[in-house]
Amino acid sequence: MSKKKIRVLMSKPGIDGHWRGGIVVSRAIRDAGMELIFGGFQNVKEIVEAAIQEDVDVIGLSIHSGAHFAYTQQVIDLLKERGVLEDIMILVGGVVPAKDFPKLKEMGVANVYGPGSMTSEIVDFIKTHIRK
Amino acid sequence: MKASYDLDTLINNFKKKDKIALAKLITILENEPEKAHEIFKYFEDISHDSYIIGITGSPGVGKSTLTGAICKKILENGKSVGIICVDPTSPFSGGAFLGDRVRMTNISLHPNVFLRSLASRGYKGGISRAVFDIGLLYEAYGMDIIIIETVGVGQAEFDIYNLAYSVIVVLVPGYGDAIQMQKAGIIEIGDMYNINKKDLGGEDIAVQVEMMLDDTVFHSGWRPPVSMTDAITGEGIEELIQNIWDHKEHLELSEAIIQKKKNRFSFKIKELIYSKIERIISERLINENEIEEIINHALADGKFKIYRIIHNKFEDMNFELKKKSK
Repeated sequence: MSKKKIRVLMSKPGIDGHWRGGIVVSRAIRDAGMELIFGGFQNVKEIVEAAIQEDVDVIGLSIHSGAHFAYTQQVIDLLKERGVLEDIMILVGGVVPAKDFPKLKEMGVANVYGPGSMTSEIVDFIKTHIRK
Repeated sequence: MKASYDLDTLINNFKKKDKIALAKLITILENEPEKAHEIFKYFEDISHDSYIIGITGSPGVGKSTLTGAICKKILENGKSVGIICVDPTSPFSGGAFLGDRVRMTNISLHPNVFLRSLASRGYKGGISRAVFDIGLLYEAYGMDIIIIETVGVGQAEFDIYNLAYSVIVVLVPGYGDAIQMQKAGIIEIGDMYNINKKDLGGEDIAVQVEMMLDDTVFHSGWRPPVSMTDAITGEGIEELIQNIWDHKEHLELSEAIIQKKKNRFSFKIKELIYSKIERIISERLINENEIEEIINHALADGKFKIYRIIHNKFEDMNFELKKKSK
């Protein structure tokens, strides 16, 4: 067991009851040997505070409400305000149309996973980009 | 991608009560415990003591929700709280699903609280190896109260007894009968017992615990109280917290707190010594490959030879030990 572990916060911003996607991806992250902090439903302030206190490497935002631009931008802005944006990689998943991917990436999201994504892609992406 | 922080900057920010610095120092202690002596030498002039509460019980009894409810009340009294929550690491993947924070979202933004989720990382006693160090760090930070929530335990994981001053054993309706109450281990270590999910009943469990306590001699003069809560609505939390303060007062008046503090440090010192010996053994005495050889040898030649092989192996080893002091 390596001593340093990749830590990931999985969060569902806003009022959006679709847990399953976030749970499935969380489980895949756990099974890939990482430490997954399950944030559940959180507002933007709670997400950023949790990311700071848990000192995570990755925030996964699971969004099925269609409000992915608004929530993602707010998380990025607050991370920046707190001075930790550079420390944390942001991934977005859920019901996000492919046409929105480029704009999310332009905003600073490392990658986006829409319906049909493989959990192995997500795990590989994290392991490739976060070296411990 | 990750910005690097030098230790001096982190310590300076930590002393200004910066939570980012606290979080990063925890990460260092968790990943590189050998750096503890470098970190703690910055705090040698600090004399602050926190009061340490331990919360333990089986999986699903409501430890995290209860931790959140207790913390909320303590915060209302103007005190600061540092929380450490441990969940298990998978023996298969080395990964972990840390699901304690999700029960405490309502306190997570309070300025006087800091909450860190830890994975047990192979440590067996119901906590993680870093718990002691993080507790010490919370003390340096100036936390009034520290709450340590163990992994969901079975019957025999009770390291929390050595690390916390007041241990709450959490039970739920349907826990077990009079026989379960007589067993050694987790059911013995409570400074108080709390039956959670009281909306589902549980009066019978409270009676069973009281009867178990009737059969126990308390040399300390403290008989553990039994309370009942519904952690979600907060019902019964006041009484549970009063029990904690009563126990704290008992420890302080009887000076038993001194022994509790000694236990805490003796536990860590022994763990450091044993883990060092373990490392010496695996590096210099016998490694995984040699153990594998013994197993293969025994399986090939017949399992009943296992003790003979081990005996011979130990005969071959050269232990250089300190002379026995007279």
